[in-house]
Amino acid sequence: MNFDFSDDQYALRDAAKDFFAGESSADHVRAAWDTETGRSPELWRKMAETGFVGLTVPEEHGGLGMDEIDLVLILEEAGYAALPEPLLETTAVGVPLLREAGTETQQKEWLPRIAAGEAVVTVQLAGAALVADAHIADLLVLQRGDELHAVPKGAFTCTAQPSLDGARRMFTVDAQTSGDTRMAGGAAEAAAAFDRGAAGTAAILNGLSQRMLDMSVAYVQERYQFGRPVGSFQAVKHKLAETLLVVETSKAAAWNAAYAIAKGLPERSTAASVAKAYASDAELKANYESLQCHGGIGFTWEHNLHLFLKRGKALEQAYGSAGWHRARLAESLLGT
Amino acid sequence: MDLNLTTEQQAFRDEIRGWLEANVPSTPLTPLTEPGGLDAHRAWEKKLFEAGYAAISWPSAYGGRDADLFSQATFSEEYARAGAPQRINTLGLGLAGPTLIAFGTPEQKEKWLPSLLSCDDLWCQGFSEPDAGSDLANIKTSAVLEGDEYVINGQKIWTSLGRWADWMFCLVRTDRDAPKHKGITYIMIDMHTPGIEVRPIMQINGDPGFAEVFFTDVRVPAWNVIGEVNDGWRVAMATLGFERGTGLGSHVRFSRDLAELVSLVKAVGLDRDPIVRDRLAQLFVETEVFRHNSYRTLSRLGSGKPIGPEASLNKLYWSTMETRLYEAGMQALGEIAELAPAAPAVMDALGEADAKDAWKHWHKQYWYSRASMIYAGTSEIQKNIISERVLGLPKEPRG
Repeated sequence: MNFDFSDDQYALRDAAKDFFAGESSADHVRAAWDTETGRSPELWRKMAETGFVGLTVPEEHGGLGMDEIDLVLILEEAGYAALPEPLLETTAVGVPLLREAGTETQQKEWLPRIAAGEAVVTVQLAGAALVADAHIADLLVLQRGDELHAVPKGAFTCTAQPSLDGARRMFTVDAQTSGDTRMAGGAAEAAAAFDRGAAGTAAILNGLSQRMLDMSVAYVQERYQFGRPVGSFQAVKHKLAETLLVVETSKAAAWNAAYAIAKGLPERSTAASVAKAYASDAELKANYESLQCHGGIGFTWEHNLHLFLKRGKALEQAYGSAGWHRARLAESLLGT
Repeated sequence: MDLNLTTEQQAFRDEIRGWLEANVPSTPLTPLTEPGGLDAHRAWEKKLFEAGYAAISWPSAYGGRDADLFSQATFSEEYARAGAPQRINTLGLGLAGPTLIAFGTPEQKEKWLPSLLSCDDLWCQGFSEPDAGSDLANIKTSAVLEGDEYVINGQKIWTSLGRWADWMFCLVRTDRDAPKHKGITYIMIDMHTPGIEVRPIMQINGDPGFAEVFFTDVRVPAWNVIGEVNDGWRVAMATLGFERGTGLGSHVRFSRDLAELVSLVKAVGLDRDPIVRDRLAQLFVETEVFRHNSYRTLSRLGSGKPIGPEASLNKLYWSTMETRLYEAGMQALGEIAELAPAAPAVMDALGEADAKDAWKHWHKQYWYSRASMIYAGTSEIQKNIISERVLGLPKEPRG
């Protein structure tokens, strides 16, 4: 029994941390609010070159052939940097969906291009109204009832639905599905993909929460009032201790969900719900306490904190809110 | 990452589970607080001892099994899963024993370890005092050397098992002029020595769970000092470090408690109530998160890595969760929550015998759960520790 990552996995995490710190700085995220697409093809290409994008693509299709356990720490780091690019949609959800539900033709057509950074995937599952990054997607994988369809660019249109997070680009889509777009898998694969989305979002939220906490811990030591750093007051210290409690413990739940999904365990949906419910609430706590600890400066547009607050706010609802996941867990606990 | 058990781990789990299935009494032991309860629990401890399970973490040279942390956690999990009786010599086995093993002379080990392990002697902890709770180093109980004996005067409080203990591992002040951490000595005191008076303290749940202990000119051989004189703070802190393995495996107890809460909610017909459902699901989430973090800590320690920040969070996490769990139980009971277990209306409301038993258990444990945010370092102290030692925020001013 070993619930810990390997040295290689930690090394990959460290590489991701450095990479995102350089390539997805707060300035970069802020800039993404104002560009036309909000996306950087150059950054995506670099992410493909380093292997992050193709991490879950099988080796025979040009990827690294890794699994959710390898990916979960990368997603945490992407969250920490509030990375605008659709790593979750493409690598955490889209690729496994193609792998599990795609026809051989669809896999051959798309997986190598994804690994090479030439194709971006986004998904629409479980009746979600909104689709992230549909404007730059080369492939939209969507669920229609019990069917899954792989719809290429040109066969769907999208309407921008501006998000409270300017670096997050949301759309409604109108797609033409047909026998040609139909995938081999259906409801079961769609459900698994949704769980991947929930578990992956939990990991991203944990990274975001950690960022908000780190920013707050730094700020309360710089900010002096009454001749003392405000971080020396118990009222402030205890808020941050409580935040650390939920943020740190939340990580293990996301790791466990990644493990359950990677190994295809029967409890994977439960594990995903536990992870997403807890991570959403942990982020909510980090969201409130970090703004409170920053005081007035945190309420300004100029300060970077709001870039993270808003991503957190957006992702609280993605792939099922905390309440939604608790309702799902209550069904297995108490019956319908 | 591999959450499967190794062959050895599985074999150990099977062994423990098999033994417990064969030996755990089918009816609960008489509660400790009732006549005959203490003897029944001692007999059970003896049985564990004879099977080699009294203190599996101890070195085999002293009657343990050299069990690593994972095996200790496995034992705790299986013990909780089997619903085995409450252990009674836990402070002795978990703290006094390991301290003796680490700091005692060969003669001291020979004197105390065998009867501690077999539970022929019960041990209590003499750390807290009326003015030394969270600020433990503030202890005032004095020990003055006269010949080859220390003369001890003062008072200890919140002494679990104080009424029954044969021995106390105790912190006393041996140098009043030294800085407060430097004048403390760790000493073993025979609780049957003249001059010791034990007064039980009734807890708010109605149990006489702990005691205050008064020392008036109590003469204790200087031979009983563990480690060096005036070095007791270091000895005691090292001992507390031994506790890090003890909470592992406790997630099973919380999962059991939650299962009982689910039964209770069904018995009172609240299983369709959306608020109750949300609350129970949240508790399920919290117990699961606790379990994952237990394995996380265990894995880090097991591979010799420094303990992560999650370990400092452990106490704050589970005490908060436990309190919420029992609070949810009280809320679910609704109107009958205020009644005592003997009230006829309780029996009317809960028809099934199982439900009545669950209710009694629930009601009794509720107040004890409220203590969890106070004992072993209050939540406020835990938050100070976390914010200062993990987050690196400025220290509290200390007098």
